[in-house]
Formats: sequence, structure tokens, C-alpha cells
Amino acid sequence: MLRKALHAGIIGLLINGMIGSVPALSGQEQDNPYNTGQDIQSGEQLFGRNCSRCHGLEAGGGERGPNLRTGEFQHASTDAGLFAVISDGIPNTEMVGVGRNRSEQSIWQLVAYLRSLNSEVRVEVAGNPSIGEELYGGKGDCSSCHMIDAEGGRHGPDLSTIGDRRSPDELLSDLLTPNARVQQRWWTMRVVHQDGTEVEGLRMNEGTYSVRILDAEDNLWSFLKRDLRQSERTETSSMPAYGESFTSGELEDLVAYLYGLSRGIR
Amino acid sequence: MKHYAIFTLFVLLFPVSLESQDSRQRNADTNQPAPSFSLITNERLLNSDAEPQNWLMYSGNYFSQRYSGLDQINNENAAELELQWAFQLRALDRAETTPVVVDGVMYVTESPSNVIALDAKTGSQYWRYNHNLPEDLNFCCGRNNRGIAVLGDKLYMSTLDAHLISLDAKTGSVLWDVEVADEAAGYSKTAAPLVVGDKIITGIAGGEFGIRGFVDAYDAQNGKRLWRLYTIPGPEHPDNKSWSGDSWRTGGSPTWMTGSYDPELNLVYWGTGNPGPDWNGDVRLGDNLYSDAVLAINPDTGELKWYFQFTPHDIHDWDSTQIPILADSEFGGQSRKLMLWPNRNAFFYVLDRETGEFLLGKPYARQTWAKGLDEKGRPIRIPGTSPSVEGTTVSPSIGGGTNWFSPSYSPRTDLLYVMAYDGETTYYIREDEYIAGERFTGGGGVTPLPAATYASAVRAISPQTGDLEWEYPVQPRSTAGVLSTAGDLVFSGTIDGFFFALDGNTGEERWHINLGSRVHAGPMSYMVDGRQYVAIAAGNVLFTFAVKE
Repeated sequence: MLRKALHAGIIGLLINGMIGSVPALSGQEQDNPYNTGQDIQSGEQLFGRNCSRCHGLEAGGGERGPNLRTGEFQHASTDAGLFAVISDGIPNTEMVGVGRNRSEQSIWQLVAYLRSLNSEVRVEVAGNPSIGEELYGGKGDCSSCHMIDAEGGRHGPDLSTIGDRRSPDELLSDLLTPNARVQQRWWTMRVVHQDGTEVEGLRMNEGTYSVRILDAEDNLWSFLKRDLRQSERTETSSMPAYGESFTSGELEDLVAYLYGLSRGIR
Repeated sequence: MKHYAIFTLFVLLFPVSLESQDSRQRNADTNQPAPSFSLITNERLLNSDAEPQNWLMYSGNYFSQRYSGLDQINNENAAELELQWAFQLRALDRAETTPVVVDGVMYVTESPSNVIALDAKTGSQYWRYNHNLPEDLNFCCGRNNRGIAVLGDKLYMSTLDAHLISLDAKTGSVLWDVEVADEAAGYSKTAAPLVVGDKIITGIAGGEFGIRGFVDAYDAQNGKRLWRLYTIPGPEHPDNKSWSGDSWRTGGSPTWMTGSYDPELNLVYWGTGNPGPDWNGDVRLGDNLYSDAVLAINPDTGELKWYFQFTPHDIHDWDSTQIPILADSEFGGQSRKLMLWPNRNAFFYVLDRETGEFLLGKPYARQTWAKGLDEKGRPIRIPGTSPSVEGTTVSPSIGGGTNWFSPSYSPRTDLLYVMAYDGETTYYIREDEYIAGERFTGGGGVTPLPAATYASAVRAISPQTGDLEWEYPVQPRSTAGVLSTAGDLVFSGTIDGFFFALDGNTGEERWHINLGSRVHAGPMSYMVDGRQYVAIAAGNVLFTFAVKE
């Protein structure tokens, strides 16, 4: 026990020390800014060139480095921690950092690739993706808000490669409880200008002095806060919960369709 | 005069409300707040001079005059210009971007191939698009991007890995992404595309890698390639004989800047770059058509209507990728459709853009390589000016009398403004073997004397005579583009970080400011909510200025 506790303490120190050396990071909460399907692809290429010799061609483990496909990392748990390990290496081990030769973007792409491996352990889903696709465009009316391959609305996240980022369980949870995890980009806002003009829509971006909104008709607006008579922010999702309107079978079908929206499969 | 009339109309329709403190675009009829960005139709692009509050394409309008019809900032008040906002680009590379502004939304590109949508009044962000690039890219001259094109509610951008992409103008979502050429073979893309009708016309970079250049057109809706015009004709064409042996296959002639468009003639004009290898002409004997030329292209078919080659058999890397400036002006006592071209080879050319006929050519910057131009505009070379093993010192420099950074033409003053450089280079030749994806230049050059020996100048040139009307010397030198405005001002900058305004009639300085880093981009101007702004990138920051309220 003592040995294990000591080990954890040393690792904690290590990771904290490493994070201190990455200027762009603000603690362990730093989100990966390079997390798209393309980033994962670039990360894969980088991995092949820089890491596969030790960790195996598909990160499944090699003679010198452990398997990285399990989702559990010995020396880091957060994206920021992974960034630090990749950038600076792990002292007194064969794991050398790549930070000196690579841009921050490249390192984040490696993180994105490693993260994608966990969800990329493709699992069998029970639903029928073809029926799910019909539900997506029909009963669910998802395309009025979401884009897939340039088709669809602007009022929800682009789902073109959602299957690479969310597991079937996570997708189901998103459909049942859309308010459980709402990124700020998808909050909504209602403002009243001092001359009475009222605008309501997605809060694209907000700062101390100004706010930018995409309204229901897809108009872009930018306001200085000093010109607003009234301003309300709704920090919940504008997406309905599908638990009541969809049967469990339909939800399975929809999840099967969404899970199939993957860079690798399409 | 036409521009005067349009501007008067504009002022009547859009009463200038200098006192307004409002944050919003205003509806012209109701004076109510209005949303930003409205659809960009072909009509709007064709009549961009009628909405000088916007800057709808890289060079401002289809004639590429980099001229703003706004006159709120003028010779009377330019001294009161002050900073309004700055936007820090994330890249360390020096910015070469010119923003596009559509109804209060500014689209600015960031090295290497990113786009940010900003509120043009405050510099606050709507969205950002980050383009991912492969590692170990082959490119010549910096991780540059110079801007976007817009049509409908879609943006179009070149990427450094030689792709053309389309983004949703309101959210930055990727609509399509097509490979234009293989980046591994040395192809790359840095210039803003040009929208003509329902097509996206775009060129290619890679003249230092033995590529074969081309101009392409893509379907704006889906990115499907509609035509390709190679800038080096294949063996089936008689002009292919202007290349010895198989040298045409690796002859370069890239198209790495943006072209211009004359809707009346339905011709697109595009400049071509150096033949490859750059400095060893012995392995590519002949005129090397159509390198260092301007091509007049039918945008419907990609058919070449005419060409004019400025520097046949170039051996100094004097790309003719300058922005083609189109102007309707007097020449020889007649109103003519002209093309004005201060070339990297240090000569200023006036062409008839309907036929390609050479009308006039005179040096506008220091040159020691040609006795002059013959009656067809072909340079008469001075013997002994070719690159050599021991080095041959010639003017202009490798960078040229000018380069890619835009000149400007004001229809009000009827003057062409160009940033000229009176430099020199000692040129060397060497043997080079073509290996795909590696540099293929056949030599190089050095500046023989300390850089401070040489200087730049903004030069105002008469299209009728090619004569210098005035000049504004710039020390130590400049690689900045030029903007002229209906306020009769000329804006440009310097390599040591100054941005300045001149009287377009006299060259007298009206204002300058130190921005702390190299100005290596073209200025532009726009208006939001009745207030005129001038924007310029310096270093990796975009700055905007307006007169004090």
C-alpha cells in the first residue's frame, strides 16, 4: 500500500510539474483544442512516425512501451496530463518527450488520437442504422439543427464524425438527457436592444463587452452589452429529450445510425 | 467620374452617422439594428463598387484596383486616425492576409490555413476554423495564407497542403474539402481564390519544386473540378516547343496569387510565375511559355484567349504573379480597356486587356538587365547579366522591383501606386537534379552589400506615359501592399513596422504609426454603422483604425 501511495504521489508531482511547463494550459481542465476527425487522423500519422516503434503500430503495445488502447494511462488521466507526458516524456524511463521538435498542435493531435482509440474499440450495437437514418431525418427532425456532410442546420453541433467521439452509451445519454452536457457554444441567449429590437438565438460567443448571436433564421448579430436593455442567457440545450417521443427500439436505431457516423467507416 | 456618382448615391442612401455610438449594423431604410452578413450574390460581386462599406474579395473588386470608394477618412482628417481594435493571430508567422468584410462580419485568415470570423466593428470573434495539415509539408516561402473568397453563404480558401475548401460563412463548418494537387510533390496553395459566376477559380504554388503550374475552376457548390488550364502547354501544343527536351515537365510556371476579372469581356486574367529551375536556364532553353506571363482565360471553358510574356526565358526568378490591375482610362487619346502591370522585372507595362497588345513599358524601379523593351514589349537583354558560377550582380533583386504585394489604382487620380524596391542581387547558377518533392532551383543569390544600402519607395505612375508623378521613399525597405481611397489617400507600410497614409495626389505624408512589427500585407477599408475603418496586418496582429470621434 505504502509503495502504491508513494508511487501515486510521485506521479502527481510529476504531472503537475510537467503541466507547469506547458504555457497554454490552465490546470488539468484544459480541453483539447485540436479534437476533430482530421486531428485524430493527423495524430495517427504522427503516432506511426514517432511512437509506434515502442508502442506498437496501432498502439497495442510493443517490446518497450505499454498498450495505449485501453483508455487507462499509467502516468496521466486528463488530456492535459497526456499532453505533458507526450511533450516532456517520463523521467528515468525510456519514454522521451517529443515537445522539443513538435508544435503544440501536433501534441494535441496525438492526444486526440490516443483518446479516439478508446472509443474506437468499436462495439456492436443492437439498433438498425438504416431505420435510425430515417428517424434522424423524419420523426426526430434532427437535420433541422445538425449538419452531416454539409447538409442540415446550424443550430447544433456538426455530427459528420460523431461516432468517432461518442460511444453508443454516451450517444444514448445525449438523446435522453441533452442538458447533462451542454458546451457553452450551444447555450441560447435573448437580448433586447435599447431601441426595442429583440433577438434570440444561439450564443456563439460572449465577452465582457459584447455578445454574438445566431438567431433562428440564421442571421448573425453582434451587440455591445452597453446597448442592451435586457439580456437573458439559457444554459440548457435547445435540443428536446427523446425519451418520451421515441421508443427504446427507435432510440437504439438512432444511436446505431449516429455511431456509424465515423471517419473510419464512411 | 463613375465612382464619384456611385459614391454620391451611397452617401444619400446611407447617411453617415459619425455621432452614432451604437454597436450594430443599421438598416438603411428604418435605421433599426440589422443582422450582420447577407447573402453574397454574383450581382453584388459584379457591383461591389456600389457597396464600398464592404470589401468583398481579396483585391476589393474584380478589377483588383485595391481602391476603396469610402472618403470619410481623407486628407483633411487622416492625422486624427487612431487605433480602434487589434486582433492577435495565434500563429507566429508574419501575416500576409487581407480581410474580407461582408455587412459587418470580417473574415481574416491566419497562418497556416485557418479562418476567423469577427465582428468588424469590435474585433470580437464569431467563430474560428482550424485546418489540420500533414507534417513535413513542402513549401517554399512561408506558411502563408492571404485570404478567402465568398459567394452565397459560403467561404472558399486555399490551404497550404494544396487543398481548396469551402466553409459555412455563418458557423465555419466544413462544407467540402478537395485536393487540388499533391502536396508531397511540392504543390501548395496560399492565395485567395476568385469567384466568377458559379465557379471558384484558383491557382497553385510550387515554382521552386519543379511542378507544372495550372489555373483551375471548381464548382462552388460541391468542389468538383470543371476545368484545368496548364500554364505550360503539353506536347500537342506548338508552344510546348518553347521548352527544350522534356524540361516542360518540371517547368514550374506557378499561379500563386489571385487573378482579376473583366465581366464585359468575360475574361479572367492570371499571372504566372518563374520557370523552373529558377536560375539555371541552360536546362530549359527557349522562351519557356507561359512562364512569367499574364494569361487571359475564358472562365466558362478554361480556354486561353491570349497571353503576354513579360520575361521570356527568365533566369532571375522574376515571377509575374503580381495582381493584374484593370483600368478603363485614356490612352493615346482614346478610352481604352487597359491592364496596368508593374512587374517584378522592374518594368511597368500597359496592355490592352481585350487583345493583349503591348501599349507601353518603362522601368519604374532600378534595373540593369535590359536596354529596354522592343515594340512588342520583349525585353532587350544586356549581355553578361545571366547568373554565373562566380556570381553576377544585377538589378532588380530576386525579390524584384516589386513582388506579390498588391499595387493600387485610383480612378479619381488616374494613378497607379506601387511599392517599388531599388535593390540588387548577385545571382549564381548550379546544376540541379529534379527529385519529386524537393527543391529544384538551379542556383540562388545573395545581396552583395548591406541591406541598408537599398531602399523602397511608393511610386505613383501615370498609365498614359509610364512616368513617375511622385514618390515617397521608404527606409530601410518595404514588402507591403498599397490601398488607395476616394478620400484621395494612399496607405502602405514598412518592413520596420510603420503604417502610413499619404496624399494620393502629391505623395505628401498625412499620418504614420509604429505597429511594432513588419507590415507584409495589403491594407483594406470598410465601413460599419456609418464609420470608415482601415485595416492592416503587421507581424501577426490585425489592426484597425478610424478617425477620432
